Amino acid sequence: MREMCSIFDGMGFSVATGPELETEFHNFDALNVPADHPARDMQDTFWVKTKPGEAKKVLRTHTSSVQIRFMEKIAASTEGPRPFKVAMPGKVYRNEATDATHEAQFHQFEGLYVNKSVSLAELKGTLERFFKEFLGPDTKLRFRSSYFGFVEPGVEVDLWWKNRWLEVCGAGIVHPNVIKAAGLDPAIWKGFAFGMGVDRLVLMRYGVDDIRHLYSGDLRLINQF
Amino acid sequence: MKVSYTWLQTYIKDKLPEPAELADVFNAHAFEVEGIETLPNDFIFDIKTLADRNHYALSHRGIAREAAALCRLRLADDAMPEVSANSSVYVPAVRVESDLCRRYVARRIDNVSVAPSPAWLSEHLEAIGARSINSIVDATNFVMFAVGQPLHAFDANKVQGSIVIRQAKAGEKIVILDGREMTLLETDLVIADDEGPLAIAGVKGGKRAEVTASTVSVILESANFDPTAVRRTSTRLGLRNDSSKRFENEITPELAGEAMARLTALILDLSPKSGAGAVSDTYAQKAERRTIKVDAGHMNAVTGLSLSVADMVDILVRLYCETSVSGDTVSIIPPFDRLDLVIPEDIADEIIRVYGYDKLVSRDTPSIEAVAIDQTFFWAERAKGVLVSLGFSETLLYSLVAKGAFEIAYPLASDKSALRERIAPKLAESLVFNARNADLLGAETVRIFEIGKVFPKEGEKMSLCIGVCQVKKRKGVTSESVLKEAVAGLEAQLGVSIGGKIEVGPHGALVEVDFDPLVAILGDAGSLGELGFRALSADVRYKPFSPYPFIVRDIALFVPSTTDEAEVSLAIRDSLTSTAGTLLVKGPDCFDRFEKDGKKSLGFRMVFQSFEKTLSDEEVGAFMTTLYDTVKGKGWEVR
Repeated sequence: MREMCSIFDGMGFSVATGPELETEFHNFDALNVPADHPARDMQDTFWVKTKPGEAKKVLRTHTSSVQIRFMEKIAASTEGPRPFKVAMPGKVYRNEATDATHEAQFHQFEGLYVNKSVSLAELKGTLERFFKEFLGPDTKLRFRSSYFGFVEPGVEVDLWWKNRWLEVCGAGIVHPNVIKAAGLDPAIWKGFAFGMGVDRLVLMRYGVDDIRHLYSGDLRLINQF
Repeated sequence: MKVSYTWLQTYIKDKLPEPAELADVFNAHAFEVEGIETLPNDFIFDIKTLADRNHYALSHRGIAREAAALCRLRLADDAMPEVSANSSVYVPAVRVESDLCRRYVARRIDNVSVAPSPAWLSEHLEAIGARSINSIVDATNFVMFAVGQPLHAFDANKVQGSIVIRQAKAGEKIVILDGREMTLLETDLVIADDEGPLAIAGVKGGKRAEVTASTVSVILESANFDPTAVRRTSTRLGLRNDSSKRFENEITPELAGEAMARLTALILDLSPKSGAGAVSDTYAQKAERRTIKVDAGHMNAVTGLSLSVADMVDILVRLYCETSVSGDTVSIIPPFDRLDLVIPEDIADEIIRVYGYDKLVSRDTPSIEAVAIDQTFFWAERAKGVLVSLGFSETLLYSLVAKGAFEIAYPLASDKSALRERIAPKLAESLVFNARNADLLGAETVRIFEIGKVFPKEGEKMSLCIGVCQVKKRKGVTSESVLKEAVAGLEAQLGVSIGGKIEVGPHGALVEVDFDPLVAILGDAGSLGELGFRALSADVRYKPFSPYPFIVRDIALFVPSTTDEAEVSLAIRDSLTSTAGTLLVKGPDCFDRFEKDGKKSLGFRMVFQSFEKTLSDEEVGAFMTTLYDTVKGKGWEVR
């Protein structure tokens, strides 16, 4: 995670964080994933018990919620909005059964670049540089058309790994509805965003066989690094 | 969705590419093919379509049109069948009373024969994993899988009076096709007659008007229902199926009329003696085709491609859009079923995916002035760096625990039903756990910490928890003293007082403090460079560890004072390598040495463990016996 931050630091990305116990608004609605929309099915959510009348809360299902928090902050800043690049590492939660490659809690690494003109070509350049520095100069990646409510166009990023393509990252151009929900003017501000599972990349880079080891606090694993 | 290759071909005049090649095209340009199954005379694709393309791609025709667009193939003739209505057959009386029903097309067919389907029909359905039931039901399913419109058939003689599409009365009940009784809410939409509900709209048919072998007349339904209402009802009742899935993803109401014509033609074909009446079509708010205006420069700015207006128009026309060009502006009228095409970015998506992401040339982002790093992140990372330099390891323990102020609504497991209020309890467990492996790790002290979110009653906050377990007894050294020293070290390097109460127990010693107040004192973040983040060595590879218990054995020897420790160590290793082989996982490590009366005393520790099983004392005892013989043979004395 630190190394990821430092590679993105090299490309001018700062670091932002946000709450793990999130509002439904920041985790879904503001990200163009409205209630009762089939896009909600893409993530199994931990809902936290709330009292009647209280705003619904979730354990954030992605670090994308931090995008909204950060854009809100930029929109509200006294000097007015400005271009920025931020990386958002953090713990996220999914309500799914655990096995060697799935955990109810894991880490994501999110990136957001906002400026007056932002392209998919720049997104590809940014991710290519990151993966080459993180996994080696021979790393090959490809974009595939995909869908996430919060980006349009949206892509899935695959890496060539052990003779097959492996999905590692979702990305795209930030949907104008998302820019707007965070308080910026989508006619002026554009952005690209990407989010990747840190755990899978750790598994890939170091050959760890079971994601659950990462959360066991077991020094038989930790002390190897 | 399961998709038949031969079924796709029926919509396309030219020959489709080979299945594997077609799958590559879909993967790169449209949707993910998760697998291809080979049947004796077909290939079945398992295609994962997502919410944006589900408006049109949950059908063979939708996917075939996509294939044709991507591979530049000509479509086969797909004209709507002509149905001649028989005026002696009643037109169903239909009343739509809720806006949740956008269109309702109904038609009666008399003199149908409900029989097993002909082979071609049942084979088509079974190939894609659908069960063949009877000729009428199979016809509705066939047309649904063909064009994407869910359809339903009622036994006309079991319908009492007129058909009303209305919201359910609170507490109203319906027995569905599988015999279960469902209780409805006012937000549920039903198809009812004078007696009560006949079906849950878009979700499930009722038992009362079920088509059976004795059915002679049917009323066919081809309708369009509100996506949200269908989703809510089907989710609540646990009845999500092929029909509800298509409605909740929203389909164009334009499809209902066409699907009815296709269904009618198919049933008349299957039951040659039957006769169809005219349709009843309630369609208050006709769907309109929208126009999207895009600027070619904007499209290239979003994608990073440099396509001409003509290139863009070529792609859009292949996708069945109507286009008109004025300078750099392209006006686009998408086909009715492309409900996903709304804003210019949707058009940019179409342009680049069809053109090909593989042709996108990477570019760097411009350099801009950096924003400040998050303070909490910076100081947490700084503290982690200090603790690691003091010999501590960072843990990432579960945030989900058995009990806490914030409870999970539908927990996965009883031990993960709330958010942790503190890190300490799990860290204490981790201390105990790791202390047991101390010999394996070759550590005499277990030092761990975690900085992470906790969720006490007052709300989410950052917490720092540091723990020590002094495994090996040493004079004047306790878990608490090691911890105190570490806290002092952290305080010195951060320049802030940590405070906190040390908790001593069977786990050793630990301390947990709020981290946010420390950040408030520490103030502004520095740069990431100051944190000295380094790349982990590229050649570090994780070595799996054995889940089975390990066994520790010591050997203490008297050897002549001139004998080298390394020589003894090597002799022990050689002996054990020849007997235990790879079961010796650690050691021999010299843990004790002194000289007395001209003799040197050496103590070595070895750890044995298997990856396949739990080792027994006898097995390890045998290795040790051989070892004793070996060292005695060298004239060394076993103490």
